[in-house]
Amino acid sequence: MTAPSPAISTRDLTKRYGSTTAVDGLTFEVPSGVVYGFLGPNGAGKTTTMRMLTGLIEPTDGDGFVAGTHCTERRHLVDHIGLLPEEPPLYGELTAREQLQFAADLRDLSWESVEERALGLADSLGLVPDLDRRVDGFSKGMKQKTAFIQTVQHDPEVVFLDEPTSGLDPRAARTLRELIVDLAAADTTVFLSTHILPVVEEIADQVGVLYDGRLVSEGSPADLTAGVGGDGEADLEDAFLELTDEPAAAWG
Amino acid sequence: MTHTFSRTTLRDAWTLTRTELRTYVRHVTGSSRQTVGVAFMVLAFGVLFPLTFIGSATAFGEALATGSVPLGSAGVAFAVVLSVAGYVGAAGGFNQERVGQIGPLVRTSIPPLAVSLGRFANRSLQALAIFVPATLVLLAGVAVGAGGPVAPLLVAVAVVPLFAVGLVGGRIVGDLVRYANERLAVSLWIKAVLMIVLMVAIFVGTQLLLNSQYEGGGAYGTVIAGPVLPGQPLQALASVVFAPLGAAVQPLGLVVAAATLAAIPVGLVVAMRLETRMLVQDLGSDAAGVTQSHGVPRLFEVTPSTRVAWRYLLRTRRDPRTLAHLSPLLFGAMGMAGSAVQDPGIVLSLGPAAAVVAGAVLAGGAYGLNPLGDDRDQLPLLLTSTPSVGVVLRGRMLAGIALGLVVAVGIGAPLGLVEHGPGYVLGQSVLAVFLATASTGIAVGLGAVVPKFERREYMSVERAHPSQWAMMGFFFGGLIVGAIGFVLLWATLSGESLIAVALGWLVYVVVLGLAAGGGYRYAVSRMDAFTLDDV
Repeated sequence: MTAPSPAISTRDLTKRYGSTTAVDGLTFEVPSGVVYGFLGPNGAGKTTTMRMLTGLIEPTDGDGFVAGTHCTERRHLVDHIGLLPEEPPLYGELTAREQLQFAADLRDLSWESVEERALGLADSLGLVPDLDRRVDGFSKGMKQKTAFIQTVQHDPEVVFLDEPTSGLDPRAARTLRELIVDLAAADTTVFLSTHILPVVEEIADQVGVLYDGRLVSEGSPADLTAGVGGDGEADLEDAFLELTDEPAAAWG
Repeated sequence: MTHTFSRTTLRDAWTLTRTELRTYVRHVTGSSRQTVGVAFMVLAFGVLFPLTFIGSATAFGEALATGSVPLGSAGVAFAVVLSVAGYVGAAGGFNQERVGQIGPLVRTSIPPLAVSLGRFANRSLQALAIFVPATLVLLAGVAVGAGGPVAPLLVAVAVVPLFAVGLVGGRIVGDLVRYANERLAVSLWIKAVLMIVLMVAIFVGTQLLLNSQYEGGGAYGTVIAGPVLPGQPLQALASVVFAPLGAAVQPLGLVVAAATLAAIPVGLVVAMRLETRMLVQDLGSDAAGVTQSHGVPRLFEVTPSTRVAWRYLLRTRRDPRTLAHLSPLLFGAMGMAGSAVQDPGIVLSLGPAAAVVAGAVLAGGAYGLNPLGDDRDQLPLLLTSTPSVGVVLRGRMLAGIALGLVVAVGIGAPLGLVEHGPGYVLGQSVLAVFLATASTGIAVGLGAVVPKFERREYMSVERAHPSQWAMMGFFFGGLIVGAIGFVLLWATLSGESLIAVALGWLVYVVVLGLAAGGGYRYAVSRMDAFTLDDV
């Protein structure tokens, strides 16, 4: 019996822009059905990694596989993924409902086939009263909710979320965290990039810390906090700060 | 809140002007395409324009030297200066979106009056950078003709205040139009229609004024120009300006001169107060209103592409600004309208063909000329949602065809039926469908060759508009291709040289078909291979 293949795996994944190396030989694996917290300071290469794994940009070197598909095979990759980038990709002139229908059209899915799931998510996030309003009249949080639903309404195998709770009020943020946990429970792999460390600590099964384009630590949140010196009451924030401190990062 | 022209306000305004000018220069020099565009503009206005009129300027100087002051020609020149400055001022007053990114910082850092002044000074200096060199060349021509510096100095004495009056007067007009545009609680489409009607009215009104001629004088007795303003006051002003050279001063000229000088500070204060008032007012947003979601009509339910096409049409229905880049077509239509006013017969003789060509150009131009740039913000969705972006491209093409055929067949066929028989109208309609379809394929190919991702302001709409070169090439190419189609249609219906005509159609259809098919295939391959690194 062979071990199940990971949902995401990379081998020496590298991205260079001229003389600048944004992502430097990244090698890691994410098993199916987990929430993987991808952490790192600004400019560490998180978004670049996400873009490579979703086929939006091509690696300079190395390989990345998502659901068994090479990340440069965008034509096949799209069947397996959903992406919520930092800026919600929405058309302001459409209503939220029309936007979700448009996203379904792009995947050649009938609205009827995704409507129940989409409306269920909208209900959870409190977006139902606003579904027939134009997106360009939305607050940032409402746009974020719409874009989240658009990302997962087709039930992808792997979901990439870049700062998904950005702009959400506390209630909506909590709901979103619960939805992410539900996704993982339903065997969807969630690749989560955020600066809100308590969120990662709460819902991530596994965490990778990126610093200066390199993976400096990986493990469960408990593993990471256990490695931090002090009185034993360190949290993920302490671990993050220690790992991304200049001399400590050199250790990785 | 007080709005006074204090020393601090002027200093802040100058700081803003300097910063914006520096930003503009860096923006232009940072992109070779921008540099070429500005160089072309400077070449056109700074070199070609004065070279075209240098002979007239010299002759004007010679006429002044003989003591026979050509008031008519002076009136024309003054009207041109006033009109150009008025246009520049109005455009600056109406287009206030470019300040965009630094807007919030500026608004909260310096007094609103300083912002208005700074913007005005910035726009005016940019305009002067283009027009001053041309004016100096023309003044040199006057000096050569007159054989001394007095004549050009007198011209300058008249031109500078006229330019200033035009600038502030135009600015007020532009501000008022913008104010009305932002305050009118009606749909964007009604605003767009009102704007078009206003522009057509101005254009046609100008055409009607072509009949009025300035009083002749000297070598320019036969000059016929399009005066935007009645010439008499400006000729009277010329009589005052050129009094040292022997012109008989007209009393009206003194009044005009005094009014011109007084209008500069008054106009500036009015314009700045108006702009400052608008700057600090929250004029609301068109998008805030609740709308209703619309499902896809049965006609567009057939395939994913047709459903995508419907979404594009829906977006345009809600916001006509998505078609702002098609304004040059409007100018073409205004030319037709102006001609139709003078000769109504052409509505029926040329109207059907014009509708077909306009519809075909509209089909490709509406959604095809910048498919990547248009969807710049949505690319992460589009590129990760569909195996091939071809579905989006086909949606754009179908939306364009639907829109184009409304004009090409919806207007062209009824117009054609008035003057021609059913056979002609049928042929014209078939040609319309072919041209509209081919147009979309060629357009997306062209758009994929020169995608534009930078947001820029055009017709007061800030978005990633298509490349100007691609647009102009496409529009003029469309005119030529359309005209060839109608020549073939006419030859077909005349029944002569059937073999030659059939051969002509074969070449026409094959060439356009290959261009359209090739354009579409190129666009698909380009977009499917596209990555965000290319932005």
